[in-house]
Amino acid sequence: MEEYPEELRTPPVALTCLVGCPEVHPLITAYLHSQQPPINAIALPDFSNIPVIPPKKSPTDTPSAPLAGIIKRDWLSKHRTRIPAVLAAIFTSCDLSADPAHWLQLCSHLDNLKASIRGRNIKLVLLLVTNWDNKDDTSEERILALRKRAEVDLKNLIIFVPDHEEELQKSLNRQVPIEVFGLTSIIFLKVWTVFGELAATYYRDEGRRVRSRLEKKNYTSIELYIRYCFKVAIYAEFRRDWLEALKFYEDAYHGLREMVGTSTRMPPIQRLVEIKAVAEQLHFKMSTLLLHGGKVLEAIMWFRQHTANYRKLVGSPEVIFLHWEWLSRQYMVFAQLLETSSPNDALYVPSTASVPEEKPTEWEFYPAYYYQLAATYMKEKNTCLEFALSMSVDVGPIDGSAESVVASAYLGQYSRLLEHEDTFIMQPLTDEEYAHYALAEGKRFQDSFEIIALLKKSFEAYSSSKAERAAAYCGLQMAREYFCLNDFSNAKQMFDSVANLYRREGWLLSLWEVLGYLRECSKGMSSAKDFIEYSLEMASLPEATGSVESFANGCGPAGPATHSEREKIHKEAFEVSRGELTLNSDEQNSAFKVNTDNPLYLEIDLISPLRATLIPLVAFHHPTVKPGAPSLITISLRSQLPINVEIDQLEVQFNQSECNFIISNGQKPQTGLNSNIQPGHRVETAPDLVLATNKWLRLTYEIKSDLSGKLECIYVIARIGPNFTICCRAESPASMNDSPLWKFENLLETIPIKDPGLALSGQKAIQVEEPDPQVDLILGSSGPALVGESFILPVTVSSKGHAVHSGELKINLVDTRGGGLLSPREEPFSSDNLHVELVDMSCDTPGDQSEAPSDNIQKIQPSFGLISVPSLGVGESWSCKLKIKWNRPKPIMLYVSLGYSPQSDEPSLQKVHVHKSLQIEGKTAVAINHWYMLPFRQDPLLLSKLKSVSETDQAPSLALNEKTMFIISVKNCSEVPLKLLSMSIETEEKSSACTIQPQQEEFREAVVNMPGEEFKKVFTIFPKVNSSKLKIGTVSLRWERGEQPHSNTNASQVTKHRLPDVSVELPLLVVSSECPPHAFLGSPFLYSVKILNQTEMLQEIKCSISDSQSFVLSGPHSDTMLVLPRSAQVLAYMLVPLGLGSLQLPRVSVTSVRYSAGLQPSTGSSLVFVYPAKPHIDLKPGDA
Amino acid sequence: MIVCLAVVGHENNPLYIQSFTESDDALKLHHIVHCSLDVIDERVNNPKKSSPAINEAFLGLLYPTENYKVYGYLTNTKVKFILVTTDLDIRDADVRNFFRKFHAAYVDAVSNPFHIPGKKITSRTFGERVSSIVKPFGLNSAS
Repeated sequence: MEEYPEELRTPPVALTCLVGCPEVHPLITAYLHSQQPPINAIALPDFSNIPVIPPKKSPTDTPSAPLAGIIKRDWLSKHRTRIPAVLAAIFTSCDLSADPAHWLQLCSHLDNLKASIRGRNIKLVLLLVTNWDNKDDTSEERILALRKRAEVDLKNLIIFVPDHEEELQKSLNRQVPIEVFGLTSIIFLKVWTVFGELAATYYRDEGRRVRSRLEKKNYTSIELYIRYCFKVAIYAEFRRDWLEALKFYEDAYHGLREMVGTSTRMPPIQRLVEIKAVAEQLHFKMSTLLLHGGKVLEAIMWFRQHTANYRKLVGSPEVIFLHWEWLSRQYMVFAQLLETSSPNDALYVPSTASVPEEKPTEWEFYPAYYYQLAATYMKEKNTCLEFALSMSVDVGPIDGSAESVVASAYLGQYSRLLEHEDTFIMQPLTDEEYAHYALAEGKRFQDSFEIIALLKKSFEAYSSSKAERAAAYCGLQMAREYFCLNDFSNAKQMFDSVANLYRREGWLLSLWEVLGYLRECSKGMSSAKDFIEYSLEMASLPEATGSVESFANGCGPAGPATHSEREKIHKEAFEVSRGELTLNSDEQNSAFKVNTDNPLYLEIDLISPLRATLIPLVAFHHPTVKPGAPSLITISLRSQLPINVEIDQLEVQFNQSECNFIISNGQKPQTGLNSNIQPGHRVETAPDLVLATNKWLRLTYEIKSDLSGKLECIYVIARIGPNFTICCRAESPASMNDSPLWKFENLLETIPIKDPGLALSGQKAIQVEEPDPQVDLILGSSGPALVGESFILPVTVSSKGHAVHSGELKINLVDTRGGGLLSPREEPFSSDNLHVELVDMSCDTPGDQSEAPSDNIQKIQPSFGLISVPSLGVGESWSCKLKIKWNRPKPIMLYVSLGYSPQSDEPSLQKVHVHKSLQIEGKTAVAINHWYMLPFRQDPLLLSKLKSVSETDQAPSLALNEKTMFIISVKNCSEVPLKLLSMSIETEEKSSACTIQPQQEEFREAVVNMPGEEFKKVFTIFPKVNSSKLKIGTVSLRWERGEQPHSNTNASQVTKHRLPDVSVELPLLVVSSECPPHAFLGSPFLYSVKILNQTEMLQEIKCSISDSQSFVLSGPHSDTMLVLPRSAQVLAYMLVPLGLGSLQLPRVSVTSVRYSAGLQPSTGSSLVFVYPAKPHIDLKPGDA
Repeated sequence: MIVCLAVVGHENNPLYIQSFTESDDALKLHHIVHCSLDVIDERVNNPKKSSPAINEAFLGLLYPTENYKVYGYLTNTKVKFILVTTDLDIRDADVRNFFRKFHAAYVDAVSNPFHIPGKKITSRTFGERVSSIVKPFGLNSAS
């Protein structure tokens, strides 16, 4: 875009001219320029400078002479810089008020001025500069006279007061939104407005004048039509009427299209050059207008049409390069326009214009696309130019005529400048001369740099929009260009990055081409290593499928991607590696030869592209091995090189360097290679080491390692010839994956190892195990642990074959259910949260007491313990005891591991580990339960019981001042018999609240409670205080294991059970029935029901008795009676039993009317046993 | 005339690429096909900007070069077909139709039990069938 002149690149700005009174010029010009739209001003200090404005040519010469060109080269610049639309004559008030001589001079100036603008339609403005002080001095007549003389309207005469404060203030009060350069004034605004209006009028008039010629078809040739359209468009642009400008540019462009076939004005080559130059300019204008208007889509469509129109117009073959240059410029300029306009406007503007049937694709919105094509055409130009140059031998400075050729007055035309008697004459050129000139000009430029610059722009733009493949293609073209310039390092860098993409995506042919270039680059840079690497990679590429013959050319320096070519490259590479071939590209680079001083060392890792050249797979046949025991290892090598390769020596390296070994080729004398063999290292000899294409060379050897741990093969190093080494990183068959290049090939699948299982899962590493421990670790288990007790677990270390040195015992407690360990992690030491904890580790060191305290590292955490084991000789043993406490029932896993070294001298290495684990169940030992019972055949009426039938959580109610029994039962939940030692109830409240009998009982002989058995103990309670919440106390049970495993510890445990609170209240009525425990057939007995009223009220009681077949009864059958306050009433029945055995007494139901509470005695309490006759034993009556 | 036809796999690797020109610009066609993968990527990743039918396999014109037009097609298994033609005034419907036939041929080729999915297509029958589809293509559109 920079090659276009400034006036073309920027939108036109109206031009004014200031004459006279130079001191105010800077102010006015600066102000005008800063406004929107701006106005440019030419400042002429003196009236004598007026002739700067070019006079109007007389219009007579145009029609007769044939037209010399389409658009004058300097027309636009003339109108932008030299012909003003408005001319402002500036006078001071002094000029006016001065003496008549002054006035006369002023008038003559004015006349001159008018004369100079005569013919042109330039508007005249008068500016009168006056000071505030003598503002009124200027006489009105003089001003009027001046105006008359100048023939200007009143509004075009402006009185200009540059330095008045008040005026300034006034303008501010009017809030005119102008603030310029410290001097704010309404006058300035007026000047700008007047100038702007007049300029608009001027350009409109000019435009209209030219347009009228168009409308009247008042033109003689198509050239004039184009010129007129162009002029109208430019005038419209001056007025900022973009739409009209666009329309006329389009008209001009279409007119130009018509001219292509018809014009005969000039010789054909130059004619086309001119047309293209004009088309270029018109199109540039249109694109700019469209893009700045945000109409990206239309601009792209226009551009597409533009290039389609002119692409075919290649012109005469000798200057065809001019066409490509022109086309390339079109693309480049459009790209630049697109690039500069896109940030301002949204890229995808919905356009109202008719969208063509074929929408532009995504890339046509990217400048990168156009840059790339510009580069392509530039390359085309370069090729054509070189061809043209080679065809015409005589081009050059021999013919001096080329130098005198200059651009002529018309756009796109060239002519010869002849000096003829002090004047210069423009002489038209013939086409031959022009072609000559163009060739000479073309020779002066280095196109390659321009191509690279264009491609680089495209490359960067594509990269930033994540189009990596297109970017790679640009990179490739760029690299080719560098290559042509012999700039190998830049070329290589680009080629390398491109090659990576092609490798990754498996584009063989493209990769082949790039590698071919890279090979040449490394040759040029005299890098034998790179040369060999690229050669080997090329040689081991897969066969290109498809019609290989058609790729015979166009693959760059590598030649066609055929098998024979690969073989050639292969041979060449190995010749260089053997030093038989010297690698030299040209004279200035020093030749490079592989020899003893310059050995060649290649490294192939897991991501190297050379993996196809040589891939070593190493597989151990077993996953683990005992130390010192032999294990088989298979080394498989494969190469995709087209010709067999013979390896002289293979070295296999492990992480344990003692295991390294060398395989030498039995077919070859190992001269020169023996230096690699270190003394003491193992050397194997293989019958031959020849790698055939895509065939595995399998070598299996035994290997032994004495060190436990991981034994891993790291490198396989192949030596071919004395100075060529390839070091490959070993790979496991299990994790081998083919490179993308080979992955998609339809290749015969071969397995690296004969055993298919090993081929799929073989590993290059083997685990060498620890030596077998010869120490026993015994965990003495004694069944489940019980909650509360300190469970003691003996651990014994007994040596059988190994001495134990620096042994360490690690203990871990783990929850068997996983998840949360023994306690929340946050507070591991607060014992409340611990369910199970390791309390203590005690050890008895029988042998050497003296050593123990210092050496005995002991570390205890609730779930972890560490204890050091003293040195033990063979056959000795040592034990310690772990004390573990369960706070809650929970099963845990106990892991104990012993690490020791059998030798005392090297404690750090080779520790032997023994692991043992044990699951221990933690169980609750006893479950304590309780319930309350009333005395036999006695029922107190408790109001709370009546009310709260539904509430189940209600604390049990006990009757005040009545004896209630409660039973504590202890159930053995564990699997071992327990000995119960004592049971006691610790009351919490003061003893007056209730009395409990017995308070504490030590069992005289420990009660043995077998698993599952229940032990019951009866207590009585006598509440003495009326309370709704009476705390009774806690039952404490002391017990110990029935069979104490370690009798030396007194391990009795206490289990506590808190009795729930009870409510105590006074019973209102107490009903108690009395009858003998047994009766005799036929003999009567007394059955009485006693109702005790403990209230202060008279209680009405209904009672009834049901009939029974087993008895004959006497007494009230059904009755209502009144019980006096604090007294008792007795219902007495006399019963005669009629049946035998355990008989149900007649049921007496007692109902209190006041509380509507009835009493139904339970069936258990109303049984009596009837004997047939009185036994002979003497029974005491009333024994119940 | 169709000058190049390519089947491109999941890793943007060529599974089948065949050019039908006499001249030596096979490599250039490779590059054109390779670059057009970028357009496919963009079009597939930003589906809104392109054709309204998201489920459509035919991707339309990928990008115009000065001498060629490149069309794309994406199968349900995300295998891409790319067509390079020298016919500059070609109807979408013709290309669509062509791709349909080609897709059928491709499906038959990969259904061959001896074909390993994901590997290059080397079947000669496939090649012959493709040529038989390619040949009448230019004639149809010309008429």
